[in-house]
Amino acid sequence: MNRIEKTLAVLQEKNEKAFITYMTAGLPDYSKTKEIVKAQEQAGTDIIELGIPFSDPVADGPVIQKASYEAILGGANLEKTFACLKELRGEGVEIPVVFMMYYNTILHYGLDAFVDGCKKSGVDGLIIPDLPYEEQEELLQALADCDETILIQLVSPVSAGRVEKILEHARGFVYCVSSMGVTGQEGNFHKEVIHYLSHVKQVSGIPVMMGFGIHRAEDVKPMKDIIDGAIVGSHFISLMRESGFSAQAAKEYCTSFKKELNEL
Amino acid sequence: MNSKAYYGKFGGQFVSESLMNTLEELDEAFEAAIRDPEFMEQYHYYLRQYVGRETPLYFAERLSEKYRTKIYLKREDLNHTGAHKINNVMGQILLAGRMGKTKVIAETGAGQHGVATATAAALFGMECTIYMGKEDMQRQRLNVMRMEMLGASVVSVESGSNTLKDATNEAIRAWARTAEDTFYIIGSAVGPYPYPKMVKEFQSVISREAKIQHRNAEGKNPDVVIACVGGGSNSIGMFADFIDETDVELIGVEAAGCGISSGKHASAMALGEPGVLHGMKSYLLQDTDGNIQLAHSISAGLDYPGVGPEHAYLRDSGRAKYVSITDTEAMDALLELSKLEGIIPAIESAHAIAYAMKKAEEMTETQSMVICLSGRGDKDVNTIADYLDGKGYLD
Repeated sequence: MNRIEKTLAVLQEKNEKAFITYMTAGLPDYSKTKEIVKAQEQAGTDIIELGIPFSDPVADGPVIQKASYEAILGGANLEKTFACLKELRGEGVEIPVVFMMYYNTILHYGLDAFVDGCKKSGVDGLIIPDLPYEEQEELLQALADCDETILIQLVSPVSAGRVEKILEHARGFVYCVSSMGVTGQEGNFHKEVIHYLSHVKQVSGIPVMMGFGIHRAEDVKPMKDIIDGAIVGSHFISLMRESGFSAQAAKEYCTSFKKELNEL
Repeated sequence: MNSKAYYGKFGGQFVSESLMNTLEELDEAFEAAIRDPEFMEQYHYYLRQYVGRETPLYFAERLSEKYRTKIYLKREDLNHTGAHKINNVMGQILLAGRMGKTKVIAETGAGQHGVATATAAALFGMECTIYMGKEDMQRQRLNVMRMEMLGASVVSVESGSNTLKDATNEAIRAWARTAEDTFYIIGSAVGPYPYPKMVKEFQSVISREAKIQHRNAEGKNPDVVIACVGGGSNSIGMFADFIDETDVELIGVEAAGCGISSGKHASAMALGEPGVLHGMKSYLLQDTDGNIQLAHSISAGLDYPGVGPEHAYLRDSGRAKYVSITDTEAMDALLELSKLEGIIPAIESAHAIAYAMKKAEEMTETQSMVICLSGRGDKDVNTIADYLDGKGYLD
């Protein structure tokens, strides 16, 4: 069974919400990335998104743009991130890892080589913000015989009638973008956010996670009875930056977020 | 896969889910508009009365004499605002109004598309925001001032390389946030479908006129049609009505910058590999990790790491040929055209002129070619002055 699906099934049984973080791979370097992943696994983070830096991250706001840019300057790339994850897996890290990346990075690497790399290094899922439903065929074909790595579907507040078809074969969880636009906007969820999340929850056979603009567990209180988990990206990166990429700071933040999330 | 969004294997709609419904609405509104005689009449009214069309197809006597073949220049430089960009902006802004949008945004590199958009926004009383790289704002101060005089606000983009590529990223981000009331006017034949089709539709007036004008002058089609290619808007407009005329050779001229082998160039089709950027799959300049490489050209308008998807298709299908011209060759051609014909072309257009001079060697005196003179060189005088002083240009 896919690691993401397994983890979420356990959470569902315990009636717990999932806590998911995003961090840019190789920022400031891969040894820090490894430390922070390990600290989060211990802290009870359920799934980690690792961002593969790309030169033109159009779905990202300033925080992740800057993180990507610096990671690239520091030499981060897909190949090294595969290697980093493979090492982590070898060291016993079992937390589900999702690569969040742009489609060009995959095309450039080669679809088959990419899928092979995912399998060998233990990538459990993919989030590709510039690959909407209509453009997924090519990648889904390459992933066809691969249960280890699944494609996570995204929906937005204006997806409306598209939600059904997007979720028809979706696996793992559905990533609900909380607002229009890009990652890291300050707490401005879409005005119809509750209505929209309820619609997705009603249609979805898999857990529903909300991301974009979340800082604290408190932020998702209004939708706590609808969603199955929360994703924190830009804020987590800012926090890491402020603490000098301290594994201890990551651990503390994740422990308390996870606890508060389930006490809302 | 939405097959109508593709030109062969190029094109598509590689955008975030938040924009997919927007693109569908846009596609429907666009298709309805171009089938509505009233809309098209309105569009052509503004092209006539405001832009100043039709533009002449000028027989360049002294150039033809020197290069021993018939050379015609399609004078897009005579349009209001000084280039072909306004043709497309007029079409898109009328469409925006028809869709009930009150705000427009655009990206700009050298500032020509920004100025054209700000101009049309002033004309139609729309709120206008232009995204421009910080680096480009410094290089093109006068155009920034023009846009501001026209009532637009110019946002300085400070991310990545601070140039057109990044300004386009930022415009896409702003659009994803505000698509509910904002129309994104893309200036080149790039972006997610239906943009490449829309830009072609509104630029095809260039070849529609040129074809008739050339027939009137020569009683036949031209043997060769040449245009410069950055993202490819003037060229797709110049090719459009000749694509089905298989007796016409179509040539697109990319910027070779300091030379293809130097690595400092903007020829996406010379060495580029297919990839995805700005919502489309096309040829792109990329590094070994699949990150987008910076383009390099003395001409800001050709300084783009990708190319429109239909051009990628025309190249692969063999219908059009794509070549490249270096900074030096383009500047020599610019100076020669200025002296021989009294026309100072934009540096972009000078790339097409430069290749035409080479191409003329294999043509006879009775054959003819049409070159798209996409813009005038007034905007380039600082760059030209620096070049003549031997200072090269800012990069």
